[in-house]
Amino acid sequence: SEMSKDLLPGPYPRTPEERAAAAKKYNMRVEDYEPYPDDGFGYGDYPKLPDKSLHERDPWYQWDQPDMRHNWGQPMHWDFDMYIRNRVDTSPTPVPWHIMRRHFLIFLSTMLIMFGLGGLYPSYRPVGPKQYPFNDLYLERGGDPNKEPPVVTHYEI
Amino acid sequence: MASGPPPSAAERYRPNRFVSLPAELDPATYDTSPEKRRAEAERLAIRARLKRQYQLQLNNPNPPAVIEDPALIRWAYARTLNVYPTFRPTPKTSFLGLLFALGPLLFWGTVFKLDRDHKEKLIQEGKYERPFSVF
Repeated sequence: SEMSKDLLPGPYPRTPEERAAAAKKYNMRVEDYEPYPDDGFGYGDYPKLPDKSLHERDPWYQWDQPDMRHNWGQPMHWDFDMYIRNRVDTSPTPVPWHIMRRHFLIFLSTMLIMFGLGGLYPSYRPVGPKQYPFNDLYLERGGDPNKEPPVVTHYEI
Repeated sequence: MASGPPPSAAERYRPNRFVSLPAELDPATYDTSPEKRRAEAERLAIRARLKRQYQLQLNNPNPPAVIEDPALIRWAYARTLNVYPTFRPTPKTSFLGLLFALGPLLFWGTVFKLDRDHKEKLIQEGKYERPFSVF
């Protein structure tokens, strides 16, 4: 792009003058400007904005770009493309997160434990051995048709 | 014996990494002090200045073909071209690089090698049962 080097992001600001210049570059107040910590991760002097998704921005304000809820020149979050309205939503939930997490883990663990126990200790209705007709299928099992089949009784009276 | 009324929904709410605190529950948004008011006024001034610049370009009789957003250009530049110049090998970055870049390669390499060697040993001994065999 044709922007001059001092308008593009640069290295981490070390002196207060560099901080003030960086804040002015990003259209922020010097007190609001907070760069990412200098851990060598590659952020440079990009400002660390609060991790709030676009769902939380006022839907009724007249933004310059209404679908992105973004004004011209407003500094964009590093993860702007994650926080758009189709994706991650950080707006406050009606039920607190730790309560939702607790309920979900209770349900999930109960179901998993019950399924695991059911797999380890299955229980069925009691069954006996199968009883076949025609003298225990004597002819079908290759018995001699000229001989008398052995009589098989499956009952006791 | 009773420990008082149960906490209300507002008192139970706790923000974390995934959800934020609504403005109604955040004490920082309550009675504004003069310093906060001045800060808000300064922010409004910056916003108004940017809006004016944008509206001037938008309502220009000879508008430019594309109204570039410098914030967008800076965002794209910071995420692509500014990462390598500002990267610095520190203990943390080297450790993470080893863990996420080298680790999976070595791990999956050893897993596949061991698995194939085990299968080869079984085949040599004649104990391997072919899956989906048509015989």
